[in-house]
Amino acid sequence: MTTTYTPALESPRSTAQPINYRRIATLAATYAVLMIAAIIILFPIYWMVASSLKPQNEMFARHMTMLPINWTLENYINVWVNTDFPTYFFNSFKVASITTACSVIVSMYAAYAIARINFRGRYAFGLVLLVTQMFPHIMLVVPLFLIIQRLGLFNTHAALIIAYTAFSLPFSIWMLRGFFEAIPKELEDAAAIDGASQLGTFHKIILPLAGPGLAAVAMYTFIRAWNEFLFALVFLQSSSLRTLPLGLASFQEEYTYRWDLMLAGGSIIAVPVLFFFLLMQRFIVQGLVGGAVKG
Amino acid sequence: MSNRRAFFAYYLILPSLVLIVLLNLYPLIEGIIVSMQNQNMMRANQTAFVGFKHYDRALFQSIDFWGSLGRTVVWTAGSVAGAYLVGLSLALLLNMQIRGRGFFRALFLIPWVVPEVVTALLWKWCYSDEFGIINFLLARVGLLEKPIPWLSNPDIAMPAVIVVQVWKLYPVMTIVLLAALQNVPNELHEAASIDGAGVWQRLRYVTLPLIRSASVIITMLGAIWTFQNFDIVYLLTGGGPADATQILPTLVYEKAFWALEIGYASALGVLILICLMVMSVLYLLVYRSQAQAEPA
Repeated sequence: MTTTYTPALESPRSTAQPINYRRIATLAATYAVLMIAAIIILFPIYWMVASSLKPQNEMFARHMTMLPINWTLENYINVWVNTDFPTYFFNSFKVASITTACSVIVSMYAAYAIARINFRGRYAFGLVLLVTQMFPHIMLVVPLFLIIQRLGLFNTHAALIIAYTAFSLPFSIWMLRGFFEAIPKELEDAAAIDGASQLGTFHKIILPLAGPGLAAVAMYTFIRAWNEFLFALVFLQSSSLRTLPLGLASFQEEYTYRWDLMLAGGSIIAVPVLFFFLLMQRFIVQGLVGGAVKG
Repeated sequence: MSNRRAFFAYYLILPSLVLIVLLNLYPLIEGIIVSMQNQNMMRANQTAFVGFKHYDRALFQSIDFWGSLGRTVVWTAGSVAGAYLVGLSLALLLNMQIRGRGFFRALFLIPWVVPEVVTALLWKWCYSDEFGIINFLLARVGLLEKPIPWLSNPDIAMPAVIVVQVWKLYPVMTIVLLAALQNVPNELHEAASIDGAGVWQRLRYVTLPLIRSASVIITMLGAIWTFQNFDIVYLLTGGGPADATQILPTLVYEKAFWALEIGYASALGVLILICLMVMSVLYLLVYRSQAQAEPA
């Protein structure tokens, strides 16, 4: 997966020419608009984090300040020590991690099959992946609730893990297919001549080369499971099993208008996601766009 | 193609296929069956086949379906139009020859990964009547005399939740449109500008036609996602005030898990699915007719 950068067309003659004021003005205006847009768009996130770092009297002050006057972590300590937030955090981490592992393992084999093997039904399988992705979750959640109850999985994390894995598969397979197709076929042929089995070739040659793709898919699956709300709302009942999104939503009822707890909790949920996303966003975007363009 | 290799492929896709069939296709069929049954969670043992009774109720007897459908259309159209405008504007800006494009692209993608629950929470905080920063800033610049109850006034709640969905949806549009724009050869712009075309004319006659297929695909996906989106509205307003934001997804949830009318809720779910199918077909027809009308 080497991205070849074609250098921007800065022709040598432009240095010899007089300074192009129009171009500079356009550039300056572009940067200015981009900065203003970024500030407006990201402001609500900034405001949540900034508010969560204020003591309560500042949080509800008549005159609001953009930065906390007295910085404090007391809201974070409160939400972590005096509520069930750590339980929710652990539940979410458990559900999202197991989901990610299951999803990556199951999807990588399917993705390899449709990327490399020309079998009967390959087109139909691709179609199933595309069509099932369009099914509205709000429609499926009602029958799924009945099925989960019949299977005795109501109010268990297993129900969430199975559902999250199944619902992440179409996209993961689609994305991984693009990454596998980018790996030169000659490498596999060489391994086959050397007597490696089909599965061995996949494990020893393809997987190591698809590392960034696998990481991107894993990260994407993790984020989706970490963020998911509707299935958790319907499949779980006990407060001790709640995942973070469900726990945070329940704060609104249990601690009415305790904005201090809610804003600190919201920041704790969002920050790891943002951190990992910014770390991996190049690969996630690559996979996303690759899938969209090829599809 | 040897048989052995084909069998190998079937083994590879089998686990995925089983999971997808069991958790996507089977519930779909079960949902259709339940929508014709008199299932009620209060009376679990008395399930009976009732034919199209629930559909009759939704389509002809009660007004909740048509009212919600109307609001869902407004919610979807408003969100997709807003997100497309913001997404396209940012994609055009990012497509200029600038340094730091990757940095800005990453910044503009952030709202996309913020969890829905956190999105709803932070916007609720900004929208708050008394302690909200939006009312504070508007009052500060003299635009407001008394605070606006953004989410609890039935006339304002719908636009207010649409703004949040635009914020959540535009990043995907930016990524896809930017990728499409980067495939537009620069020479076309240069040729057009030599011919005397201004910025708007170049946008209208050169750029937009060339990214048409990306635009159609991403607005269609955006509409499908938004039409069935439950989280944002449920968490911001719960469908209120006075049903002003009661869209179909929140109606299904309310009927299924508050009123416990599983059969009726399933019928509403099937109607959502039918709406989505109609939307997809319409889109494909528009797309194909446009593609044919295009001069070769």
